[in-house]
Amino acid sequence: MAAISESSGILTAVSKPLRTNQEGNRPLLHGLWSLEVDISDRSKNIVAASNRPTNSKCIYQCRCIILFLGLALWGCSGQQSALEPSGEEAASVAQLFWAMLGGGAVIWLGLMALLATAIRGKLGPIDNRAATQLVFWGGAVLPSAALVGLLGYALWLMPGLRPFANSGAPQVIIEVTGRQFWWDVIYRLPGGVQFRTANEIVLPVGQRVEFSLKSTDVIHSFWIPSLAGKVDMIPGRTNRLSLVATKEGRFRGPCAEYCGTSHALMAVEVTSLPVQEFALWTERRKQPSPGVFAPGSELFEKHGCGSCHRVEGTSAASRFGPDLSHLGSRNTLGAGILPNTPETISSFIVRPDAIKPGTHMPAFDMLPPDDIRSIAVWLKGLE
Amino acid sequence: MELRWKHLAIALTIFPVAIIVFAWIGFFNIGASTGHWKVTEWLLHSAMRTAVKTYALLEVDAPAQLPRHDIGPAAGHFARGCAICHGAPGELVSPSAQRMLPPPPDLTEKVGEWNDAELFWIVKYGVRFTGMPAWPTQARDDEVWAMVAFLRELPGMSAQSYRALSLGQSGRLEISPRGFANAIAECSRCHGRDGLKAGGLVPIIAGQKEGYLLASLRSYADRERRSGIMALPISALDPAVFPDVARHFSRQPSRLRQIMPDEDDRSDGARIVFGGAPDRAIPSCFGCHGNTAIRNETYPDIAGQDEHYIANQLRLFRAAARGGGQNAHLMHKSAERLSDADINALAAFLGALAAKNATPTAAQR
Repeated sequence: MAAISESSGILTAVSKPLRTNQEGNRPLLHGLWSLEVDISDRSKNIVAASNRPTNSKCIYQCRCIILFLGLALWGCSGQQSALEPSGEEAASVAQLFWAMLGGGAVIWLGLMALLATAIRGKLGPIDNRAATQLVFWGGAVLPSAALVGLLGYALWLMPGLRPFANSGAPQVIIEVTGRQFWWDVIYRLPGGVQFRTANEIVLPVGQRVEFSLKSTDVIHSFWIPSLAGKVDMIPGRTNRLSLVATKEGRFRGPCAEYCGTSHALMAVEVTSLPVQEFALWTERRKQPSPGVFAPGSELFEKHGCGSCHRVEGTSAASRFGPDLSHLGSRNTLGAGILPNTPETISSFIVRPDAIKPGTHMPAFDMLPPDDIRSIAVWLKGLE
Repeated sequence: MELRWKHLAIALTIFPVAIIVFAWIGFFNIGASTGHWKVTEWLLHSAMRTAVKTYALLEVDAPAQLPRHDIGPAAGHFARGCAICHGAPGELVSPSAQRMLPPPPDLTEKVGEWNDAELFWIVKYGVRFTGMPAWPTQARDDEVWAMVAFLRELPGMSAQSYRALSLGQSGRLEISPRGFANAIAECSRCHGRDGLKAGGLVPIIAGQKEGYLLASLRSYADRERRSGIMALPISALDPAVFPDVARHFSRQPSRLRQIMPDEDDRSDGARIVFGGAPDRAIPSCFGCHGNTAIRNETYPDIAGQDEHYIANQLRLFRAAARGGGQNAHLMHKSAERLSDADINALAAFLGALAAKNATPTAAQR
């Protein structure tokens, strides 16, 4: 539901016919183009019928409107879209959205028709009794029926969005804690196996995963629009979210509740993998990275990085800052805000506050540049 | 009648102009030898007394107990900074200071006239028109309170105990300590010849990391690490001897790191030392200060440091009032969320090792 409230109805109204023309991930503009041609043809027919001299102007206006809608629609696809679901829960949310949008459109059209009739005055004056009838049926019964219908549909969908009662024990439990301004992630697998990572979540396609959502500082909100709805992370509370990814892919989950200066710089990268590949990934994550023995680890220890960070297989074991055990294999750095390269790692170490204002990490610009470079290369090598 | 009002108005207009002209021509005698007029003296003195009382009442919260354990370094500072004007037990006031206007009071007689807050105010802010300077830094109330504690002891102090307190193991005060040996003598007044003397204001420096000691000396000299007590000797030293001084004390037999703390300790202090308090955004101490041979030379040893000193430094770091070398900002970030209880627990845990360490070190020497 929360996902729907984020989208603008007018844009999505056009996206459905577009989407039905599309296959897979073909660029949206292609669909847009075909729709545009379609409508221009239709407007030509209308123009021909009425034989008005302004036909080219009308076509131009239509094109402008459609181009504008198309540009806006571009934002509705991609790795952070509730309208391009890749999970069962997100599909339910999208379905509910379309149903509500359809219902809303019918009501709106009816109302506009009524308004047009009234303006043209074809009905003529109506008596008191007829007016009362109109207000009763059109103003009370019809809206109530529509709302009850939509509510009933939403309630019917709800067990699918909160499937805790009947889903049995989930295969994978992922504990995600929102921190200013990153995500602490702990995997709990069957057999008591657990490991820790940060700012990345990997999921098996087709298996139910349960998220245990917490916060230690302020309210954050966990939202992977392509996979499921939005759930707040509240200090002192554990919220649950259950979801199944239905497609392989890479998604992005932004923090969806303002949490401080760098709220906009806090996102989690999510990858869904086939079950076998997911198993391989967890196997690798249970072990220390082979890269920990490379040169650079002694500098990491020397300058006290272990006061805040943890790297599996070294003496660095603090739970305060992000776990860096397999940093090198992540796609992004700094909670989804930078490409992950030795250069960006270096720049983060030198001045974290310049990249992420309000971060707890102090600047290490006083360290020798060679040491910083070596630490960055070592961290990038932790795959 | 009309005429008299007119005269008065003219007189009032001319009078201030006349005074300014008088001063501008240079007729005021500003020499100190003849003293103030009685009326000027009365005016200045009573204004000073009431102002100190008023401001002390408004601005100063006196602690329930003065830091008596810190009077050693306060005495050391008194010997270098204050005794030259005010005199000290067993020492005559310099005749030149006696001819100041007003003459600096003999403190053994005067401190009894002020309460703790008033003494604090005078020592911290100084007194205008008298030659009494402010404390060299305005960021170290802890040092000023130590000085107040010392001043309270002063009236009853014998010459012998004053000398022992202010000159320490050095036994002498070098006004201009040139060269390595004199520099060590100056340091030893408060730190001890072995660098082991310690308290709330004085750390154990024996066996401390050489890089850290050198960085500290330099940041005191640059006034980045603010201390009224260190400001005087450090400005008298030649910076060229800093590396030798740092090396000397780093090589003394230490009580730091002799016994490392127990990782299985479940006390609050031990938990923060080893693991921090992640949920309260407090990092672990030993990530940086742990006993690793490869550690950054400018991160000091803290295991076995004096308990009062650790507590005091953490409070200064928490208030971001503790400058230092280029690493001070790391501690500002780390200490900003410590509670008073955390600070006491950390100090107690790390400081308890100092007592344990005292024995093996004594045996070594």
